[in-house]
Amino acid sequence: MDTSKTNTDRDPLFDALRAEVDKLDAPRGVEKELLQAFARLHPPKRRWYHRLAVRPFALAGSLAAAALVLAFAVRAPHPVDDGRAGALVALDGNGVFIALDSAERIAAEPAPRMVATEVPRTSLTALGMPLTPENAGDSVRAEMLVAADGQPLALRVSAIQ
Amino acid sequence: MTTTTSDTDLLRQMRSGAADAFAALYRRHQGPLYRFALLRCGSADTAADVVQETFMGLLTDRFRFDPLRGQLPHFLFGVARNLILKNETAHQRHVVLAGPDEDDGDDDLPDDAACPLARLLDNEAAEEVRRALALLAPHYRATVILYEMHDLSYAEIADICQVDIGTVRSRLSRGRAALAKRLACMKG
Repeated sequence: MDTSKTNTDRDPLFDALRAEVDKLDAPRGVEKELLQAFARLHPPKRRWYHRLAVRPFALAGSLAAAALVLAFAVRAPHPVDDGRAGALVALDGNGVFIALDSAERIAAEPAPRMVATEVPRTSLTALGMPLTPENAGDSVRAEMLVAADGQPLALRVSAIQ
Repeated sequence: MTTTTSDTDLLRQMRSGAADAFAALYRRHQGPLYRFALLRCGSADTAADVVQETFMGLLTDRFRFDPLRGQLPHFLFGVARNLILKNETAHQRHVVLAGPDEDDGDDDLPDDAACPLARLLDNEAAEEVRRALALLAPHYRATVILYEMHDLSYAEIADICQVDIGTVRSRLSRGRAALAKRLACMKG
């Protein structure tokens, strides 16, 4: 707030008060609470895979999911330490899995589950899915590894197995 | 040379969800606003509440700031002033007061919920002036604080307090006279 204008009419009586009060700011807790309120009012934008209507199709057993998580952690062909979503992290016998969250998050998930879903082909172009005018309106069947809270962890496109 | 993003640009970014823009606005304006509220109501807790509520209003657009109608700092001062008045009005409902006269109010005691005469500052000279200020009637106090502590012009104070410039001039004059009288009594 700009209060730097010169005011020649200022009363010198206030000099000591000005010097003393100018050091004061609102308590830090106020900023913290306001930023929390801001975060509640402006939640982070959800990516396309968060908005998918996940339809349980073939729920894999927790054992298989746990094995898959282990495969992600152990057989990662590229470093994923930077935590970027969308990095290719593993291959298994059925196709390519693409991580939608960090490897650490995936490995730490206690109760992952596998669900089948359909994904618009246009949503997958950023992940390398070929797109032509003829197939732009199509959907692609995919399997998704989902955390217990519904957060998508990884995706495998069934159609290109 | 430093480039400072304008309040209007920060507001635009804030409204599109940029938390750092909101934080920058807060850090830019919280100090003067807090100091105004502190001297106006005499309580650090109330002043912090006023600052928080003012910025919450900015965040939720509850008070509808329009950049075409004035500057953000003046708008924030105006909101803070109104919140303090609202707080005092609520407090007055619980206190029996002998009918105060608006224009002869320089002998009124401050009517804040907090105790404005509790010590707030370490410096003795500063604390003495602050206490004398706290004993002014609220409408004189706000005018004197905005003029003497925040270097605002008569026109800016008139805009904040929603009165005409002549009223600002007379309140400032009477406020200063009452303040001098209080300080003389304290010293005498």
